[in-house]
Amino acid sequence: MHIPDAFMPIWQGAIYWVIALVFVYISLRWAKNELNEEKLPLVAVLAAGIFALQFLKLPILMGTSGHLVGGALVAIILGSPFAAVFILTLVLIVQGIMFGDGGITTMGANIINMGVIGGFVGFYSFKGLKAATRSVPVSAFFAAWLACLLPALCAAVELWFAGTFPIEAGLLAMGIYYAIGGIIEGIVTVAAIYLIINVRPDMVDKNVLPEQTGAVA
Amino acid sequence: MIEELFDIERYAYRDSIIHRLDARAKIIVVFAAIIAIVSVPYSPIVFTVGVIFYLFFLVLWALTRLSPVVYLKRAIVIIPLWGIVILFQIFIKNPYYTQYTTVATLPFGIHIYAESILFAFILMVKFIITISFIILLSSTTKVQDLLDGGRRLGLPAEFALALGMMVRYLFVFGYMYRKIIQTLETKAFNPFDRKLPYRYRMRQIGYTIGTMFIRSYEQGERVYTSMLCRGYGRDCHLFLKKKEIKPSEWTFLIICLCFIVVIPVMAWFRQVTWF
Repeated sequence: MHIPDAFMPIWQGAIYWVIALVFVYISLRWAKNELNEEKLPLVAVLAAGIFALQFLKLPILMGTSGHLVGGALVAIILGSPFAAVFILTLVLIVQGIMFGDGGITTMGANIINMGVIGGFVGFYSFKGLKAATRSVPVSAFFAAWLACLLPALCAAVELWFAGTFPIEAGLLAMGIYYAIGGIIEGIVTVAAIYLIINVRPDMVDKNVLPEQTGAVA
Repeated sequence: MIEELFDIERYAYRDSIIHRLDARAKIIVVFAAIIAIVSVPYSPIVFTVGVIFYLFFLVLWALTRLSPVVYLKRAIVIIPLWGIVILFQIFIKNPYYTQYTTVATLPFGIHIYAESILFAFILMVKFIITISFIILLSSTTKVQDLLDGGRRLGLPAEFALALGMMVRYLFVFGYMYRKIIQTLETKAFNPFDRKLPYRYRMRQIGYTIGTMFIRSYEQGERVYTSMLCRGYGRDCHLFLKKKEIKPSEWTFLIICLCFIVVIPVMAWFRQVTWF
């Protein structure tokens, strides 16, 4: 889903950067308030984990690259969409500057897609679905699936604006890949939440914990 | 990925004029080069600017005293993935051209256009230049220097602290991954062994990934707690030591920036197209 440098005219990259910076600024305020000595290692390990998850990728012929995203997982575990913006920004900085994955001029667009859209869609769809179904695994699965698919479709639209790929083919290629990849993302998200709740329930946001575990915690 | 991470840090610990430069100078030059090449409109002028920038990159790379194999090995990991995506441009009409000349027609009504081939080459040149400069930066600058350089250039302290921790965790993941793989090998477990039941293999892989995550977190947490005991904390990046850029580094920076700005501007105004 990473849009590399050169795939987008510089002025469009600048516009996405400005929009992304607004969200990054708010996420920094979240970090200032929330990142205490206990939470910092969790944020860092989640960022490293998502970095590792995103490293396995395949090319999508009428789009960019196909990989897992992790925005929903972060937002659900830490209980805020801004956590996803903050962590995905960290991941994109390391990927872009150390590994040439993604770009510098297009980093704003990538932050919007994976951090902002991924985080907000993941978090609020999880909240809504959990209220409706009362099931954490079902809600987390569909939230992660949506948070994987929608950013990919947005990336396809951005590439169409950039004049790099046609809209129909882009939406189709990215949509199909991420609709299928989203299933894996959903399974990984549910598995990760299940694992963390079982091993370290103190690490997760209290809204994710089952009610009896929440009462004990 | 894990081996690449260790390799990058190993290259960054070598010694050369470029390695010794202040990280800020390198960050500014690399970002400027990327912004400059991306700013050149999608026209054949990209080839002229691209060749000059690539020669500039080669000069800088030669100064690093790193083998060209290092660059090629890293480039080969990145470029083919995007090369396939860029290759598909030859079948697509895009808004940058009004007229298209068909050079070949394939079955199922697929056409290859001359203008699309040109556009694909333009994208490829821009992409190779940007990747080359990123490889230069990361192969010659230690992660900690990059963080300190970024911090001195205005990267918020929260980002610098979390980035530092994140990179440490990546190395912890790396060590954990090696240990776990060794353990699985000593137990003769092969996840691709079809003689083993599929569910068993999946469960073992799941446990392995989960163990790696939790053990890395717990080890990292222990290290972080001991760092806190020694006075490290979330505010320590606020007190970053001041470091002046030396006159020689200013000279390098100014010459490089002038070059990076002047070449595309001259090529654009004179409409120099060598290809």
